[in-house]
Amino acid sequence: MTAPAPLLAVTGLAKAFNGVPALRGVDLDVRPGEVHGLLGANGSGKSTLIKILAGFHDADGGTVTVGGTTVAGPFGARGLRDHGLGFVHQDLGLAGTSTVLEHMALDSHGDAPGRRRVRWKAERARVSELLERFEVDVDPDATIDTLSPVQRAMVAVVRAVGSQELASGSGGGQILILDEPTVFLPRHEVGLLFALLGRLRERGDAVLLVSHDLDEILEVTDRVTVFRNGRTAGTRTTEGSTRDDLVQLILGARDEHVAKGAAMVRSDRPALLSARGLCGARVRDLDLDLHAGEVVGLTGLAGSGFEELPDLLFGARQATAGRIEHGGTVVARPTPARSMDAGVVLIPADRKGQGGALGLSVLENVSLPFLTERAGGLHVDWKSLDRRAQGTCDRLGVVPANPHALFGHLSGGNQQKALLGKWMDTNPQVMLLAEPTQGVDIGARREIFALIRSAVAQGMAVLCATSDYEQLVEMADRVVVLDGGRISAEVTGSDITKDVLASAVYAEEAS
Amino acid sequence: MRTTRSEPPVTKVDPVTSTPAAQAKRRKAPAEPERFALIGVWAVLIVAFSLVVPQTFPTAANVSNMLSSQVVLLILAIGLLYPLRAGDYDLSVASTLNLSTVIVAILNVQQGWNIWVTVIVAILASLLVGVINGVVVTVFDINPFIVTLGMGTVVQGLIYLLSDTSTISGIDRALSSAVLTRPFLGIPVGFYYAIVLVAVAWYVFDKTAFGQRLLFIGQSHDVARLNGVNVPALRLRALIISAGFAGIAGVVYAGTTASADPVSGAAFLLPAFAACFLGSTVLRIGRFNAWGTLIAVYFLVTGITGLQLLGAEQYVQQLFYGGALVIAVILSKLVRNRGERKRRAEAADPA
Repeated sequence: MTAPAPLLAVTGLAKAFNGVPALRGVDLDVRPGEVHGLLGANGSGKSTLIKILAGFHDADGGTVTVGGTTVAGPFGARGLRDHGLGFVHQDLGLAGTSTVLEHMALDSHGDAPGRRRVRWKAERARVSELLERFEVDVDPDATIDTLSPVQRAMVAVVRAVGSQELASGSGGGQILILDEPTVFLPRHEVGLLFALLGRLRERGDAVLLVSHDLDEILEVTDRVTVFRNGRTAGTRTTEGSTRDDLVQLILGARDEHVAKGAAMVRSDRPALLSARGLCGARVRDLDLDLHAGEVVGLTGLAGSGFEELPDLLFGARQATAGRIEHGGTVVARPTPARSMDAGVVLIPADRKGQGGALGLSVLENVSLPFLTERAGGLHVDWKSLDRRAQGTCDRLGVVPANPHALFGHLSGGNQQKALLGKWMDTNPQVMLLAEPTQGVDIGARREIFALIRSAVAQGMAVLCATSDYEQLVEMADRVVVLDGGRISAEVTGSDITKDVLASAVYAEEAS
Repeated sequence: MRTTRSEPPVTKVDPVTSTPAAQAKRRKAPAEPERFALIGVWAVLIVAFSLVVPQTFPTAANVSNMLSSQVVLLILAIGLLYPLRAGDYDLSVASTLNLSTVIVAILNVQQGWNIWVTVIVAILASLLVGVINGVVVTVFDINPFIVTLGMGTVVQGLIYLLSDTSTISGIDRALSSAVLTRPFLGIPVGFYYAIVLVAVAWYVFDKTAFGQRLLFIGQSHDVARLNGVNVPALRLRALIISAGFAGIAGVVYAGTTASADPVSGAAFLLPAFAACFLGSTVLRIGRFNAWGTLIAVYFLVTGITGLQLLGAEQYVQQLFYGGALVIAVILSKLVRNRGERKRRAEAADPA
């Protein structure tokens, strides 16, 4: 069996930023009728490749061949879009208050002079046909913010396909590049998006799927290419590959799980943090105790309330009913400031929007909780704060270990390490984590697990809300599963496996 | 002797940081020449004007005049820095300044009140404007841009009502001598008041938790809130401070002119914003900062005075202020992009 000629072939592509190589010559070929996975740790060059193809950067060397013809660089601001490449970026590029139809109409008069009239009737017909053809059940007149996350992702994909069809006529043979489209999708809905990718594959299109999620890649792709340190570490046929093979390719070493160690739960003492009859937007009448020395996992389907609970416990969102106790004493009206005083800290899922200020330095970000501690807030002792920040960076292995670097310039994993270090320096009693390893590469993820375990060993209580079962298997002593805002199951100790968690989470749907 | 003395602090630091490379790198980081670009241009302007108009520009009288004539603008701009630091625009400062001036004039000239009592009343009235601004912004969570635009217009209307749309002159000389006529080292004393306020603002921004928290609020309300910062309270405080500074600026203005007219305050709005934004391209790039604002104010007046001495008409002022604001915004964007690329490369460099 001979492999069909690749639709997209990249050879020896190189790119350096101010002398620092990001791509040292990568090779990649994507064939018609395949979903091709692209894996790699943070900083391995995945996003640089995508950005070169999309026209954000110009390559320093190497060739790109589309459909058999070599395209000479630089690709210009529109990148390879005019050669039949479509892009769906992680944030999807959709505006919340506009409708699906308006978004798609934008593409069909993209280059036309502004005075051209939009033929709404024809547009509507085209959009409806597209949505129907790809079996996406979305009303063209729905505004984006009324759609569920997976519907948005599917609209973004169909939109990219549609705009290519406008450029090159319908039919197969297009190339679609998806940059981590599933990060913000609830797990159980990812399948819908993958079914859509399957339909593109049947048409003979080529799909390049960038992802951090090994299981996803194993599930949906035909072949997978792994980048490591700006080079192609290898390409594998997905069938017959195992997780371990891919992890080894990504890291250049075998995956080792962090030793969990037996939980030293002191349930004889009052819980460090308790919720009684707590209600929020989704959470209903919930009781929960967090004891010293345990990592409590919290999971469930999207909308089950597990995402909301850390915010409620911290006071970032006001509960509509119920009470919260710190070490047995009731907190009247929890606010972030009061929770912090009681040693309860929150590391939110949205690192860029809520966790840290991207435009300020690491030093400033990690110093924020300590400002008042020094001389009653009247005089900030930057020297000692600087020493502390340097110590934190060194201890947690934040790269670069320079507190004066801008927080926004750090990679996701390093940002998270800096934030963890910041809060651990406050000697908290309870740490509330929401999706702590989202967008974090495998290496940093393991370091973060190790940090959390060591904190727990010293008597901290940790609540980790995540839809990543594997993470719970690796670090939780007890997992609480929410369904419809209430606790539907609790799994402890060695019973915590991905299968058990998955069946607990989907139990309600299955029955 | 010297080497042995400098040794101990180094050994105290964590071993990783004390390697020469790390030390050098950390010290090298803030040495960006762009930080001093405006000062360089300013120096060039001073030298150029001194060469072109040597009889009038580099004279003690002209320098003293330039320094003292900008005191009102400087005080106003320094106050404006507080809300800007927190990411909030206060467009009502110019009307508040005018209100303060008019209140001083009315109470002192028409009602015959003691000048110092009127000063206090004027500043209190200005603070009240700030309180209203701040309460509306924080309680109802409305964009301060639009709130202060509306409040500024309301205040302007109030000024017309109070002053009967006429200029009131004859304010007590005591005020003038307190801010203007008592020179120290040849420069009117008002200048030194402004310098003290600049120094205080610098201290607050760089050395206090309040200043640092304002900075975080300006970056992201969510980040600040989740780190235990009381966001609404601090935004309220910043808006009250800017109104208070506008009140003080108004009092100084009343002293400088010994009269109050209902319209001239409005002319301070754009120069104040121009100074703040231009100031954010100096010393601490991309950040509103006190000394940068001081430099910007005097950079602007140097250019305008020089051009006027060369025979330019009054309109040069508008051209200069307006142009400076737009160029400042473009410059800060360009410089930030450049710095960002450089720092990003540094951050990506694992060594």
